Amino acid sequence: MTVEIEIRNLFKKYPNGTEALKGVSLDIGRGQFFTLLGPNGAGKSTLVKVMTTLISKDSGSFSISGMNPESNPAKIQHFIGVASQENEIDPTEKVENLLVFQGRLFGLSKAEATKRANELIELFQLSSERNKKASALSGGNKRRLHCALALVHRPQILFLDEPTVGMDPLARANFWDIITMLNRSQGVTVFLTTQYLDEADKHASEMALIVGGEIHFAGSIASFKKMVNPDGDLSLDDSYLKYIKSLNNNSISNNNEE
Amino acid sequence: MKLVKQPSAPIMGFAMSLFFLLVYNAGIGGVGNLEAFGTGGYLPFVFPIAIISLAMGSSAGAGQTLNADMQSGYFRRLYLSPAPRWILVVAPMLADTLSSLFFTMLLLAIAALFGVTFQFGMLSVFGILLLSLLWSLTLCGFSAGIMLRTGQHQSAAIVTNAVFPLLFLSTTFLPRELITSEWLLAVSWANPVTYILEGNRYLLAGTSPAEFFYFGLLITAVTSIASVVFALRSAKRIKI
Repeated sequence: MTVEIEIRNLFKKYPNGTEALKGVSLDIGRGQFFTLLGPNGAGKSTLVKVMTTLISKDSGSFSISGMNPESNPAKIQHFIGVASQENEIDPTEKVENLLVFQGRLFGLSKAEATKRANELIELFQLSSERNKKASALSGGNKRRLHCALALVHRPQILFLDEPTVGMDPLARANFWDIITMLNRSQGVTVFLTTQYLDEADKHASEMALIVGGEIHFAGSIASFKKMVNPDGDLSLDDSYLKYIKSLNNNSISNNNEE
Repeated sequence: MKLVKQPSAPIMGFAMSLFFLLVYNAGIGGVGNLEAFGTGGYLPFVFPIAIISLAMGSSAGAGQTLNADMQSGYFRRLYLSPAPRWILVVAPMLADTLSSLFFTMLLLAIAALFGVTFQFGMLSVFGILLLSLLWSLTLCGFSAGIMLRTGQHQSAAIVTNAVFPLLFLSTTFLPRELITSEWLLAVSWANPVTYILEGNRYLLAGTSPAEFFYFGLLITAVTSIASVVFALRSAKRIKI
């Protein structure tokens, strides 16, 4: 397996004292569809922000496509596309203009950027919205636009931080069709965080489970399910819940003993 | 483009500056007959306040461009692009400075219509625009830097709130000769806004010595360089 994303012993503590990452180490292979699962506040978004250079780490190292993103953040942006939890859209601009400008930011010519914008508008079914200002879009369409913006420059690696929040079922289905197409036919590496475990179960093959800033499991989704329920066949959703509950029960038992 | 698409904020700033100019002139303009105001009357004396307050209005948004982008989250999108981070800071600063300059030119045109004279003709106009440019850049730079370091778009108001009192701790309403308060006179000498006000007055009705203009130019040049450096250094410490 060629390692696309290598993370070694990452630590991150926020000024308020919260230790978001405690020695996280992971390897994500090129072309993998990887999902990072964990309860709220586990450190998923923090890990994504560190890897995409939005925030700095305290210690540890990571590399993307063999490059250190912190030493050359501008260069790494050409390789990665990021669709974070919050919409990052200029509400005053029209849909088409935003996509074209995004392309121009990544070095596409005006013609290339316009062509790419048209492709993405078609792909994300935003044709009827192309001349609308972003502020006039519905919540679901804003999410579609937000995700489309992450793909303008055809990144090799996609960081998707709860991308389908706010999308209706049809939009979600359309979105996953696009992402799985990119992953399977173009070998795009996908790093997904999501609370919709059915999506992770359906589309991802590899996973890690992060709880309290620490990695509890890293491997295939199939092996996680087997580990949690050796005798049966549970969904990822049920496996995850069973595992988290057992963690909480162990924690309660330890507290009682103390 | 923002000015064209979202003109309300800068237009409001311009309107407020114009409003105060007209109100001050209407309310206490009669004192302009006193000898200390020279031959131009009160309007050219009080006019520089409008210019300074206009720049303060621009910086409170710091401009408004960076402020709006941070509020909408779009700034993060730009941050995740290959664009050099210093451009993310300098571009909105320049945009808001130029916006302020545009409205300053409008104010100058309105002042001319009302009979305000420019001591040195077009040279006075350029001098006023230069002071306005450097003052706007000063405020925009510090506002931008603070916003970037705190990650809070509301923190741009810190600069406005800090600078606002300076506007009044100066020879704002009366020339030095007519100010009877010793403490106000003392504070006004140390206040950089005084030199910008008096520098503008030198260029308009010539009621102040040239030294004020040169000092005003020097002070605003230094502060604008300091603010740009502060903003650029803040670009390396952006808090998202």
